[in-house]
Amino acid sequence: MSPTAVPGDARTPRRADARWVPWVAWFAGLIVVTLLLLLVRARLDKAHVALVFLLVVLGGSAGGGRGLGISLAVAAFLSFNFFFLRPYLTLVVADPLDWLVLAAFLITSVVAAQLLFRATSTTEAAMQRAAEVDRLATLGAETLNLTRPEDALRAILGVIRATLGVTAVTACEVFVQESGGGFVLAARSPGDAPEGRDASHAALGAARAVVSPSAPPPASTDATDAAGLVGWIFRYDRGAVELADGTVRIVDDPAQEAARASRDNELRSLSIPLLVRGETVGVLRVFASRDLVLTYEQARFLDALAYYAALGVERGRLVAEAERAESERRLEALRGALLTAVSHDLRTPLTTIKAIAHEIVEGGPRERARIIEDESDRLDSLVGDLLDLSRIQSGAVHAALEVNTADDLIGAALQRAEVLLRPRRVDIEVPDDDLLTGRFDLTNALRAFVNLIENACRYSPPTSPITIRAERAGGRLRISVLDRGPGVPLEEQDRIFEPFYRPRGTAPDVRGTGLGLSIARGLAMAQGGAVEFEPRQGGGSVFSLLLPAADGGMPFELEAEADALFDA
Amino acid sequence: MSSLTVLVIDDELQIRSALRNALGAPIRLSDVSTPADVAGDGATDATATVRVLEASSGREGIDLAAAEAPALIILDLGLPDTSGLDVCREVRRWSSVPILVLSARHADTEKVALLDAGADDYLTKPFSTIELMARVRAQLRRARTPATRPNDALVLTGDLAIDLRRRRVERAGTLLHLTPTEWLLLRALVTHPSHTMTHQQLFRAVWGSGSGDAQQYLRVYVGHLRRKIEMDPVRPRFIHTEPGVGYRFELAPRTAAPLAVDGLT
Repeated sequence: MSPTAVPGDARTPRRADARWVPWVAWFAGLIVVTLLLLLVRARLDKAHVALVFLLVVLGGSAGGGRGLGISLAVAAFLSFNFFFLRPYLTLVVADPLDWLVLAAFLITSVVAAQLLFRATSTTEAAMQRAAEVDRLATLGAETLNLTRPEDALRAILGVIRATLGVTAVTACEVFVQESGGGFVLAARSPGDAPEGRDASHAALGAARAVVSPSAPPPASTDATDAAGLVGWIFRYDRGAVELADGTVRIVDDPAQEAARASRDNELRSLSIPLLVRGETVGVLRVFASRDLVLTYEQARFLDALAYYAALGVERGRLVAEAERAESERRLEALRGALLTAVSHDLRTPLTTIKAIAHEIVEGGPRERARIIEDESDRLDSLVGDLLDLSRIQSGAVHAALEVNTADDLIGAALQRAEVLLRPRRVDIEVPDDDLLTGRFDLTNALRAFVNLIENACRYSPPTSPITIRAERAGGRLRISVLDRGPGVPLEEQDRIFEPFYRPRGTAPDVRGTGLGLSIARGLAMAQGGAVEFEPRQGGGSVFSLLLPAADGGMPFELEAEADALFDA
Repeated sequence: MSSLTVLVIDDELQIRSALRNALGAPIRLSDVSTPADVAGDGATDATATVRVLEASSGREGIDLAAAEAPALIILDLGLPDTSGLDVCREVRRWSSVPILVLSARHADTEKVALLDAGADDYLTKPFSTIELMARVRAQLRRARTPATRPNDALVLTGDLAIDLRRRRVERAGTLLHLTPTEWLLLRALVTHPSHTMTHQQLFRAVWGSGSGDAQQYLRVYVGHLRRKIEMDPVRPRFIHTEPGVGYRFELAPRTAAPLAVDGLT
């Protein structure tokens, strides 16, 4: 179909192909009816013929629309005249009264066809509106229910594209303002093909492209770069319709204006300000292909969808704000705990060191220097913990995700915790026939896992056995430390991963900062993993480090190589 | 008793003086942990006195290294003028003297870069004197024996017999089947005993200079190799993991007679 064809055809090619079917059927019907009537013409009155033809016309307009109805009416009129009014087989009408019959028949059929059409289209419009309402209701629920506001926005954009036609709309995007004042792409309709867009759009379309807000307002006749346009819409709360010839129209009701403009111009894009309580919270941009012709109904629907998008953006903003408040609260709590730690946990070993160094200087026993060594180690581990914690809290954990083996992780952890584990029996349960691999950062995973081992050693009787177990758990690797300690009371299970948490009634000689589990969890999460606790059957605790498993082992050619064994 | 020169490059006066004290005692160069099979004829019961040279900047260190030709360089990473990496590269241009690097925690990438640039070993601060001296001794000892064994050598360690010339590996008298990659990996490790090979160095030894998909599976190959040559793959005796850096092959005292390897008696 040529691009200049009637746009309705362009958008619904399949329906256009099937359009001739009712025409053929109904005209064939008309011919059959005429033939049947001819067979019994002698016994028929004019009224019978007129009524039968009227039935055909009404059927045709119901089944094939107004055009078919009127065409059938004219054909029936001719057939009536030609076959059933004397003299037969001419269009001459002998009896002037027959003219009245003919005229009445024609007018009745045309009016009936017209009325039927109107009734049908009203029903269709009502049904379409019902479908719209239905879709809006679903979307509304989705907007409120999807856990991530971006997903809700993406769903809305998907519906916009589906409503306007997937080929007619090349992309839908929502821009929001960042706290810094720049504008970023918050969501894009799913399944967009990025190719075939103009340069300004491509520049803008780059994910999280920051757009300067200080660009000058676009002149209404110039082609304007899209970047300036978004900023402009934010500032003036007005919409814009961009035509293919580069003209940009600044309007208050962009959807309606786009519908008006699309009658005789090719649209490039329309930008709708997303308003919540009169304030622009985002900009919805719809990029059109040459196929896009907007009806007023679609424009109205688009406005409604834009409102949902506005709610989606607003919700995202509120969620982010709540998260910020929460993280600030936690940071504040942490800062307090840090101060306590620095003033107490760091000063205690320092005091000891200072005192003993003084003793030795004054001629005290030199063996006391051993304590200085121990206290230095304690300081070292505390400083290490504090560094780790601050890296985790500031999101500065650099995770180099690589294919690693559980063997490496467990082996290195056993070596690092050797001194702690020496008085105990340690059982290792690693599958013999399966080399467990994961995609994780060995250094960070190791630190997390050593913390779990240290935790188990610290809070279980010094000679009780510890089990280390590695297994595959769905798409993850689960590496667990199982101890026979006292376990964790139910009411404290949520708190054990908080920084500086130490169980109530911890003996004063149990050394530790209360940071181990929180660091372990932070380091695991920084690489898509987790740390979980569960009570152990028969008493004790199971702490598990979960890491993303590597996909199914080695690629094909490497496995093939594995078969090529040496033969001496 | 012979005399050795050790160059310490560190800008912290306190660390320099601690190192000077630690290195003050004479060093026994032969050590029981090295089996005679591998250490070869180079091992003697020599004890050496140590002369410590100190440099407080990278520039000064490079000059001293050139002028005094020390037997070992202990290099701190955080220098005021140049990076430890530059010092290492500069020295490596004209000398193969063992370089022991002192680094802070959380400096894995730096450590790796240094080892790739030719440093021999590293110690993380704070370290104990015992650990320091063990590393110093190991480096001095290794400098006296050739790092790369000739291709026809036979390496006997623990219950393993590795015939580098004939590409055969036996464990407790049983021939092991290794894939070509596993073999190249084992050879690279075994020919640099007690030396941390970075991932990059192992890649190069196994796959050459090209890079490919296979590289990301290096650790998987090590895993498979371990399961063939180690009794307990999570408590390895030979191939030790240096997290974030690479792998190190340690020789173990001989535990099995090389019965099945012919040509050796």
